[in-house]
Amino acid sequence: MSQMTCKKLTLLTLAGLIIQIIGLLLFVFGFFPVKPALSGVSGSESYHAPASGFSENQTQSSLPPHQLRSLYQELSGIPPLFDRLILMVIDGLPAEFVLGKDGKPPKKAYMEAMPYTQSLLANGMAIGYHSKAAPPTVTMPRLKAMVSGAIGGFLDVAFNFNTQAMLDDNLLGQFFSIGWNMVMHGDETWLKLFPGLFTRHDGVSSFFVKDTVQVDQNVSRHLGDELTRDDWNLLILHYLGLDHVGHIGGRNSVLMAPKLVEMDEMVKMIHMSPIMKNDQGKTLLMVVSDHGMTENGNHGGSSFEETDSLALFIGLRSHVSDYASATQNTAQQVDIAPTLALLFGVPIPKNNVGVLISETFDPLEDDHQLRALELNSWQLFRLVEAQISGLSCGSIPLNGFRDTQISGTTECIGSIEKILCCLYMNAAVLHCSWKFKKVSESNRWEDYNSTVAAYHKFLKTASEWLSSRATDKPVDLLAFGVTAMLLSCLILLSIIFRMCREVYHVEKPLHCHSNNDMQKWYLDETFVLGVTLILVISMISSSMVEEEHYIWHFMISTFYLILLRKTAQLLPVGNSLFQGQARNCKFEMCSIFVLLISERILRGWHQGGVNWTHLPDISKWLEHAASDHIKTIQLVSGSFSDLLRLLCSIFAFIEEKICTILGSTIVVTVVMLPWFMPIQNSEKGSRHDIYTTTLVPSDVKDKSPLMELRDSLYVIGWTYILCWCLLQLLLQQPINSMAILLVLVQIMTTILHFSYSGLHREWLEICALYFLGMAGHFGLGNSNSLATIDVAGAFIGLSSHSTVLSGILMFMITYASPLLVLLSMVVYMSVKSCLAIPQNADSGYVLKTMLGFPCLVPLSLNSILLTAYTIVLLLMRNHLFVWSVFSPKYLYVCATTVSIYIGVSVVALTGTYTYFVLAKRKMMLVSIINDKR
Amino acid sequence: MVKDSTAENPGQSVSPTQAILIHLICGVGLAVGFSVAHNVYFINLVSDPSHTLRLIWVIESPFVILLYSFFRQNPEKCSYLKAVIRGVLALPVGALVNALGAIALGAPVGSQYFQRTINWSLLMSLFTFVPPASVFGSSSEDWRRIFANTKPKGSLDYMICLPAHGAVVGAWFGAWPMPLDWERPWQEWPICVTYGAVAGYLVAMVASLVLILIQGGQQHPKSE
Repeated sequence: MSQMTCKKLTLLTLAGLIIQIIGLLLFVFGFFPVKPALSGVSGSESYHAPASGFSENQTQSSLPPHQLRSLYQELSGIPPLFDRLILMVIDGLPAEFVLGKDGKPPKKAYMEAMPYTQSLLANGMAIGYHSKAAPPTVTMPRLKAMVSGAIGGFLDVAFNFNTQAMLDDNLLGQFFSIGWNMVMHGDETWLKLFPGLFTRHDGVSSFFVKDTVQVDQNVSRHLGDELTRDDWNLLILHYLGLDHVGHIGGRNSVLMAPKLVEMDEMVKMIHMSPIMKNDQGKTLLMVVSDHGMTENGNHGGSSFEETDSLALFIGLRSHVSDYASATQNTAQQVDIAPTLALLFGVPIPKNNVGVLISETFDPLEDDHQLRALELNSWQLFRLVEAQISGLSCGSIPLNGFRDTQISGTTECIGSIEKILCCLYMNAAVLHCSWKFKKVSESNRWEDYNSTVAAYHKFLKTASEWLSSRATDKPVDLLAFGVTAMLLSCLILLSIIFRMCREVYHVEKPLHCHSNNDMQKWYLDETFVLGVTLILVISMISSSMVEEEHYIWHFMISTFYLILLRKTAQLLPVGNSLFQGQARNCKFEMCSIFVLLISERILRGWHQGGVNWTHLPDISKWLEHAASDHIKTIQLVSGSFSDLLRLLCSIFAFIEEKICTILGSTIVVTVVMLPWFMPIQNSEKGSRHDIYTTTLVPSDVKDKSPLMELRDSLYVIGWTYILCWCLLQLLLQQPINSMAILLVLVQIMTTILHFSYSGLHREWLEICALYFLGMAGHFGLGNSNSLATIDVAGAFIGLSSHSTVLSGILMFMITYASPLLVLLSMVVYMSVKSCLAIPQNADSGYVLKTMLGFPCLVPLSLNSILLTAYTIVLLLMRNHLFVWSVFSPKYLYVCATTVSIYIGVSVVALTGTYTYFVLAKRKMMLVSIINDKR
Repeated sequence: MVKDSTAENPGQSVSPTQAILIHLICGVGLAVGFSVAHNVYFINLVSDPSHTLRLIWVIESPFVILLYSFFRQNPEKCSYLKAVIRGVLALPVGALVNALGAIALGAPVGSQYFQRTINWSLLMSLFTFVPPASVFGSSSEDWRRIFANTKPKGSLDYMICLPAHGAVVGAWFGAWPMPLDWERPWQEWPICVTYGAVAGYLVAMVASLVLILIQGGQQHPKSE
């Protein structure tokens, strides 16, 4: 059988990895499209045509609010319809409850529960819309969509978890800049999104889901007072109770009707109040909901029930004729932003993809309505220009109104750029010609209608295209990505299989006297393969993804028990065997018990996951305990880390420098150690291996520096481990210092056990270490939801805000355990793999044997899991929980992949570097001795 | 060596009819336990796990201990009473081992689970530890043959080894639904684990019977 050379192996592995990275990148960018967003805030330039070349002048931003307001007023040319806005958000209210569905009125119970609102709708005083919300249908992204008009991609949600404040251009920011006073009562999400913008606020937490009464009373108690005041321009009321009712009892809960009655009373109270009555038409009441709910009261997905949210305008001066036209309208949730912006005379937020709701502008003059459409079109066109680089439509022929009849009927065909361009030009030209024709008055009404239609056509096309850019998934990218990942998975697996075949075929003649059953398939090997299969299958179930830590802990404990059984098989019977082996066996048994106990404690340390986090665990017990004894334990467990912190800071004086010091320690050790490692003569072998050393032909001429390699790797490995642990003690929460210790104990005991028993194949041992790393990852309190990422720890030791540095720290904290395992692979190599290498082997063979399995096994295990999960995610793309469960898990899988790449490359580089340095020194030494002779 | 003599002469030999009878009685014992709990005390595993489990193991234990003690090894050296006492002593010892195993695999620890864990592990001890203790006593190579190597020889070994492994494997699989969010009352520790263990035990009893019958069928033509 042909042996695979080291070079070929490396090249194949690298090829597999590169294919995998490409596939992963393609898939990620296909599945989670990142839309190019415009930065900055809309200013007065939004009142000028995009191609006019008007750039925002610097003085404008420094204008005082009142001047800015009048500047906007003047530029927009639309008289303001309203000057005060009451935004009443009813969390989780499906539009169906108020407006009915498919032309049918809502259920009788709901009709009766909201008599006042229904009467407003019936009298034409209000107009309601089924506003379609984009997934994920959870509160914060939906509020963002309402105030900014932008549909955030999933990655925006995921990457913005450390700064909750909304930095994009939005309505509230625009209102603030023109000097509005804003008041908010209700869900504190608003306060997190817009810190410092509200002059008065009373935030309520959505944490107590069982509370359906007090949470709304805390909002309503301010209402009477606020309605008599006149110092605010925007009043936001966010009622959470209805969402809580849904979470407790679903849509048909008995509490639903009373809650609707309560909401209706609030609407009545506002509408009857003097501010709505006295200066009729100057205050707009808008009742909206952020998302709907399923039959069971859940939300987050993309079903009709969840995305069907309400937008109800009360107090518009336009009167709708009948009930049907007041209720059977549809819109997008993002349409709220441009509508409100234009109604209140502020620039439309930059990244808005919505289209103004035209019925709300009916009271305006024709030219004002067209102006509103024009402003919206300009804003959308700017966004389109940002998405398609190099889009040029030419300039509007200002005096070309003569040939409008020709260009106005131009059929728009071709690529999407051309269509958008053509539609925009059509609308602009028609508008232009309408303006010129205005004086002549001939067929003005028809021209007006065709201009409005042209604008709407452009707005609708552009809006749909822009929002589909944020949600659509390019199929070819995804298919190509998945294929590439499958290919790389196959490459890695085939390399592993070939290495296995080679190693065990070579090994057989060497050890055939003792290892007759080496070819047999053991229970533990079957189990490890079974675990991989179980992991892949469990990814299909969303509950299993949420509770993944149970699988890892269960599997690793079972694996230890299987090891125990295997060791028991070898336990000497009676005193028939010699004493040394008996002691060895007993030692192995003890090590397994240590493993079992530490694993059990680690499992109990954090109650992770999603559904069972309320159950007691050790960390909660330590954190919330009141009695003195427990405080003592807490003190002891925390003092270890505190002591280290103290020591470090004594040496370093400033905590910031610790990372630098640890880093330089590692670099110095790794780089220098191979140069200073004493090259041993064969007489004084290392303590561990008198055995092997005596077999070595006692000649310093021997070229492969195995003993020195082993010793230096051992020292380097420990340096890695200790520095990493010290760093973790600094970064992790104090409660995790014990958990880190437990992981370390397990890793060391496992390596010790494997090095003593020598029963297992190498790939199995590395698999076990990998599993241990993942179990430790969950044992440190991580889970598959983004909520468990320790954001606070990511800012330790940073003197200024840096996204990159804090991101790296966050990664280090989250992947402490898998990286620890991979770093300890260096120690593992030093105690394990050199044993099997014959002394006269060439460097390629040595490197292959030493580094082959420790690098390949984690890579291929990870590639199996990554590929399998990618396929699962693709299959589940329409699943209810795709945004709340599967996508966060995918981010974790990707991050695990990155951590494996980093760890493996560190291991491979360390091994190769140390080997070559030692080999070179040995060569030099040999030549010196030869010279002396 | 001692090992060879015991392995080739497995004490009392068990005929297929006896094996069927023993397994049937053990199975009936379990059924009686469940039905007494259900019909006399009006409790079941879901409503009152710890008392139901206690009832079942109390009812099942005399069946198992008394039956398996008949087939003790070296009947000339070891009296029936001694075998029964061995079985009785093995009950708490086995329970301790089972309880520790369950806790290592993640069974909840806490005062409210204490009684349940004890009763469950006593039942598991009846499935796993008590039969070999009654039959083999403390002969370590027999224990190793059954539990560490899983290489049963002869019909008696099959009768002990397979149901014990079946119960353990069944309990292992029975723990799978526990973390899921189905919000069913039987997801509590140790209800579904008990179901899994009992199911595994029953299936493995049938499997051991089948194996014994196959082996008996192979041996009979040779001897005749």
